[in-house]
Amino acid sequence: MRTGRFLLKRLVYIIFVFFIISILMFAIYKAMPGDPVKMMLQGNIKPEVYQLQYDNMKEKLGLDKPVPVQYMKWITNMLRGDFGYSTEYRRPVKDVIGVPMRNTVLLNIFSMILVFAISIPLGITTAVKKNSILDKVVQVVTIVGYSIPSFVIALLAIYVFAIRIPLFPISGVRTAGFTGTGFDAFVDTAKHMALPVLVMSVGGIGSITRYVRASMIEALRMDYIRTARSKGLREKVVIYVHAFRNALIPVVTVTTWWLIGLFGGSVVIETIFVWDGLGKMMISGLNQRDFSVVLAMQMFYVILSLAGNVLMDIAYTLVDPRVKLEN
Amino acid sequence: MKKNKKSTMGKATQRMLVGGMMSEEQEAVLTPIQMVFFSFIKDKIAMVGVFCFLLIFACCMILPVFFPIDMYYQDVTQSNVKPGFGMLKVPNVLSSDAGQLSLGSTFSVGIDNEGHVYEWGNFPTDKLKKLPKDMGKLTQVSAGLDHILAINENDEVITWGNDRMGLEAIPIELRMGEKPVEVYAGYQMSLALTDKGRLYSWGNSYIVDIKFPDGVQGHITSFDANNDIVIALTDSKEVVPLTKKSTAYAKVPDGVQGHAVAMAMSDESVAAVTEDGHVYAWGNNIKKTCNVPDKIQGHVKAIEGGRYHYTVILDDGSVVSWGDGTFGQNQAPSIQEPVKKISAGYYGNYAIGESNTVYSWGLDGYLMGTDDLGRDVFRRLLKGGRMTMTVGAIAVIISTIIGVVVGGVSGYKGGKVDNIMMRLTEIVSSLPFLPFAIILSAIIGNSITETQRIIMIMVILGFLSWPGIARLVRGSVLAEREQEFVTAAKALGVKEWGIIFRHILPNVITVIIVNATLDFATCMLTESSLSFIGFGVTEPNATWGNMLNSARNATVIEKYWWRWVFPSIVLAISTISINCIGDGLRDAVDPKSKER
Repeated sequence: MRTGRFLLKRLVYIIFVFFIISILMFAIYKAMPGDPVKMMLQGNIKPEVYQLQYDNMKEKLGLDKPVPVQYMKWITNMLRGDFGYSTEYRRPVKDVIGVPMRNTVLLNIFSMILVFAISIPLGITTAVKKNSILDKVVQVVTIVGYSIPSFVIALLAIYVFAIRIPLFPISGVRTAGFTGTGFDAFVDTAKHMALPVLVMSVGGIGSITRYVRASMIEALRMDYIRTARSKGLREKVVIYVHAFRNALIPVVTVTTWWLIGLFGGSVVIETIFVWDGLGKMMISGLNQRDFSVVLAMQMFYVILSLAGNVLMDIAYTLVDPRVKLEN
Repeated sequence: MKKNKKSTMGKATQRMLVGGMMSEEQEAVLTPIQMVFFSFIKDKIAMVGVFCFLLIFACCMILPVFFPIDMYYQDVTQSNVKPGFGMLKVPNVLSSDAGQLSLGSTFSVGIDNEGHVYEWGNFPTDKLKKLPKDMGKLTQVSAGLDHILAINENDEVITWGNDRMGLEAIPIELRMGEKPVEVYAGYQMSLALTDKGRLYSWGNSYIVDIKFPDGVQGHITSFDANNDIVIALTDSKEVVPLTKKSTAYAKVPDGVQGHAVAMAMSDESVAAVTEDGHVYAWGNNIKKTCNVPDKIQGHVKAIEGGRYHYTVILDDGSVVSWGDGTFGQNQAPSIQEPVKKISAGYYGNYAIGESNTVYSWGLDGYLMGTDDLGRDVFRRLLKGGRMTMTVGAIAVIISTIIGVVVGGVSGYKGGKVDNIMMRLTEIVSSLPFLPFAIILSAIIGNSITETQRIIMIMVILGFLSWPGIARLVRGSVLAEREQEFVTAAKALGVKEWGIIFRHILPNVITVIIVNATLDFATCMLTESSLSFIGFGVTEPNATWGNMLNSARNATVIEKYWWRWVFPSIVLAISTISINCIGDGLRDAVDPKSKER
């Protein structure tokens, strides 16, 4: 029951934050250059009727109403999925964001899996074998990993894996003119995805390994670990059941922030690898002055980051029973 | 060496502190900050980080004074030059027996007194290395952007190097009847003057449009050219621009016409020498090429022009240069023997003494190569470092100030104020950082100047990255405010602001410093990422991020590696160092974490 109340409280709060951010977004929307009324009024219009038509159009678009009313109309449209009309693609925005969204999610999920698959075991191992050679090497490598900007790693990866050893293609989602289906299509996409996923994972592996290691060391020092060991439990059980679960709490926070940053950061990676995702679409939208698309992308990132917050709350209640009690 | 000393000193201090009889007395006088300092300087990794970062920082702050760069400067003739030196390194055989030398864009060509040809420097195209066979003895050579022209003893004109744009099509008149006396290889253009005083041109005719005024063709005794225009010296000692347009070059000063005996051109001006040894220079004067030194007036025998400088021989056999000095091309050395011949071109100079020895000064090469617009990567790297660090530092200062104020007030006041401020913090931290920064930069940066743009980037970064610091400060203040000294301060009637900022803040300053350091690395990274995708600091201003912007395609990554390797390395080393410093500081502040 308490879990439910805690989550409900958080949810109400998240909705409040969304409301505030949506006002910010609306301000951005209003600040965008270009007069939407003028853009609708194209063709030859006589100067004497222009003002009349301009006013009519303004009324039709609802721009003559006070700002709060405009905001209400805008936010209802947004929530209904009506993101406006893309001037670049000449189609409603919601029709063009499907494929890029799938591509971005695909890219991020794969690098997430890679990061967890590597950093959690590595973090635990280095924590258990603290101060060993492996630990020291990993310490140095991870600090390098999370310090180097992703685009530098991208350039390096392109140089090594695409130019010196031509293993992977460096741009696009599919080979041009590729017609295969099923497994062939999957292999083709996987090849294209290899480098972006690798590049996106490096920073995450670096920082999450360090966090897992730090919180594992903290957890392994606790008294209950000594108790567990003295009870004669196998070391594996002590590490993976007793220590790791408690070590997860700080890791959850960091992971959520990293995840949100991952989606945001994929803007850069997508631009470098010409990956047809949301980030690339946002950049090209900004360059083409196609602001409806940009705003839709921005909305996606905001919702993602809020969803991340909710997820973090849920994860907290799952791994740490104390959270429900405190609230 | 110095570093080692420091760390042993640190060890000694520590030994004194931790073990031994004196420790207790010593420990009593150490303030917390001193403790942090001593434990920090014995952290080897952090000290290496401090060293690397300070080195890069010092380089970026001091070296631009010695290696100036005009941010708006670009020169396509110098584009994509490999790193390395040796452009002016005359081959040994030639350097003691030089006949005539000529400077091309990034390479030089020369002949010795037997007519053998030599080439050296950085060749823009491999075609330059393929010397034509059976040239015979050469009497004159001229190097251009990427091709070479030569005359041999049989009065034939020979060309090699770039053979496109019609550069291989030597006019028929030069092969039959008329003897070439002077050749000039320019920017995709070749010129030759014959013994009948006629000037012929071939190559890319779109670069320079040559129109002969009446009565000039057939009376030309000498000429020079740049990327805009060809100017001729006629047998009536007049300087005649070979164009019909009115340009700055056409405003020949009084006293030149009828008296000019030699002339030369830079890329922005013309200089003519009169019979009495006076130099007159006119045209544009952006790079100070028209500021002829007064002391040489009346003594000049011969003149040669480079891209933005002139070099002359005086009647006593010494040489003087003036004009732009970015690459030291206006710093003529004092040569012991009289000089008989000079040659200037692009950014370098050669002088041949009476003993046929060669002296050279000017651009010898680029330490880290050049980019696609011919800008020196090394110099831009220095300027870019300064910019990247400034933007990062100011962004951190902004975010730290906001974070400390919000966190301090919120932690101290508690209650409603705390609630509102923490909600605000959470809202800002829920904003997707990079996309939000991009969109703000795109919308605000639409109609502002470059300086305003740089300020805008700092402010955006500062205003988006304070929540982390605010939370930490709030946490620390919450812990501190229950302590006795706060109660004491309250009892003494100290005002709230005074308590927060004079009494509590000094106790949490270490946390702030650690986080500001780590934030500095993050801000530098974010700025670089923004500039990299073109939404941060934009050209012509350099930052490490936007220097990599042009290296975003496979061709550049493969062929022009120096354009991305060097900025990447410094950026990586800087951020790694800062993170090491931050980690070391954190360990020093929180002794518990040292056990990890």
